[in-house]
Amino acid sequence: MKRFLAIVGREWRAYFLSPLAYVMLATFMFLNGLIFWRIVVILSDPGAPKEGMLRILFSNSYFWFFTLFVVPIIAMRLFPEERKSGTFEVLLTSPVSEATVVLGKFLGALGFYLTLWAPSLVFIWILRANTSIDLGAVAGGYLGVALLGSYFLSIATLASTFTKNQIVAAIIAFAMLIPVFSTGLFQSGYDPERQSIVNYLNLWDHMDEFSRGVVDTRRLVYYLSGTALFLFLATISLSAKRETP
Amino acid sequence: MIEVQNLTKSYPTQTAVADVTFSVKEGEIVGFLGPNGAGKTTTMRVLTGFLPPTSGTARIAGHDVVTHSKQARESLGYLPESAALYPEMRVREFLSYRARLEGISGAEVSRRVGEAIEHCLLGEVAGRKIDNLSKGYRQRTALAGALVHQPPVLILDEPTVGLDPMQIIKIREMIRSLGKERAVLLSTHILPEVDAVCDRVLIIDRGRIVAEGTPQELRTRLAGRPVLRVAFRGAVDARETLSAIPGVHSVEVAGDSNETRAKVEYDPSEDPREAIFHAAVARGFVLRELASDVASLEDVFVRLTRHEEAVAAPAEAAAPTPTAGEPPA
Repeated sequence: MKRFLAIVGREWRAYFLSPLAYVMLATFMFLNGLIFWRIVVILSDPGAPKEGMLRILFSNSYFWFFTLFVVPIIAMRLFPEERKSGTFEVLLTSPVSEATVVLGKFLGALGFYLTLWAPSLVFIWILRANTSIDLGAVAGGYLGVALLGSYFLSIATLASTFTKNQIVAAIIAFAMLIPVFSTGLFQSGYDPERQSIVNYLNLWDHMDEFSRGVVDTRRLVYYLSGTALFLFLATISLSAKRETP
Repeated sequence: MIEVQNLTKSYPTQTAVADVTFSVKEGEIVGFLGPNGAGKTTTMRVLTGFLPPTSGTARIAGHDVVTHSKQARESLGYLPESAALYPEMRVREFLSYRARLEGISGAEVSRRVGEAIEHCLLGEVAGRKIDNLSKGYRQRTALAGALVHQPPVLILDEPTVGLDPMQIIKIREMIRSLGKERAVLLSTHILPEVDAVCDRVLIIDRGRIVAEGTPQELRTRLAGRPVLRVAFRGAVDARETLSAIPGVHSVEVAGDSNETRAKVEYDPSEDPREAIFHAAVARGFVLRELASDVASLEDVFVRLTRHEEAVAAPAEAAAPTPTAGEPPA
């Protein structure tokens, strides 16, 4: 456990020792700021409906656009960096299991992803001071952000075990995320059974639900089991990498 | 502390390590010597649990590296070939990360880190970023990282590669003092290093151990006949004179009108030095130099690892071909 926390802590801190972290933080705050501004504009229009305006923060095209890009960038350094600097050997010869390494690095990356979101709490605080908001919906929105983030990051973590090159890792992660994200958006004709499967995979709808404060256990199962599956695959991939250091 | 039995590591296209057996005791520094690609790094990677062996066993402090991998890894400190560091971290920060990764916690972390910093003379750079350190300091930081948890076994892969002579001396002193209460296995292809640091040497070539012993033993056992260097003034017929002396095995002559130089190989049972002096006097040669060439470990090494195609070819055809080379890093 101590060893596990050492890995998580180092991983999370490592982000703040590179300029990339600050670029991502600034970009993310800028985009969220734009969305917040739109929310405020709508709220100040006396004729507009006031109900559930906040959900725009968690479910909009910017959100998907940014998440699909930023997750591969967050995860791309996880293993390629270690393999390039040779610390990969140190890590795998220290008394920790591969699963601990994968989980530790994943949680460090997830920690950074959630740190990106932390400044948006200011928007909630501002809105709360000036208008009534549904805190349950806000909590649901953040839960969705965390679940989706961990699902996507687990996929990108797997991608980063494949190669020594960070850019290649990011591109593979992106290529894996696009089908995961878009499958749920396809309409599958008139077959209701197939449509129900597609709906189950419709991430956009899931985020919409979360941002309304609806926490469906099927969604929890989907994201958590998906995360576990990809982290498991990453552990296997890592073990295989010993042979070709 | 390190016990290796019939260890073999093969890849689909080549055998990197073939049937290697050796051991390293506590308080002993053993040098693992071989040309590049002989299988040193591969052997070390198996010992550290990074690579699984194809067959054979290896034990670290009594723990099998395959079946009790975690305990084995807990008892060893490993310095990989490239000083494996996180360039963005500070020295102290890196060492405390390494300590916690080894399972040390609480106040013990800063105590051990302090000791490692002191031991590796890193005090003046403890707060600096690793990226900004000189190569010598980086290597020392990596070494401090390998021993911060005070393991009974140290495995060092080319610890002095790429350092300047002063830094090399520092690192060697450190390794010698570390070796007093630990088992140390260090690999190198630098011969004077073995003489300077190691109690015992294993020479590995193309995946096989070809010689083992103290540097002194290897020298006397394998260096062949002792050699004298002789020089006379002017161009004289040194070959005939020297060859006639009993005990002289062979004579190699070179020189110009100013001086004649000869290399004399002789049988160790008969020391021809006085006879050379008398022969020179009798012939009226002016003796300018008469000195023993101490056989260097280099000679032993070259002798053992030189692959003369004509000699090697039939031997290799008979045995299953052991291929030199490590997997591309």
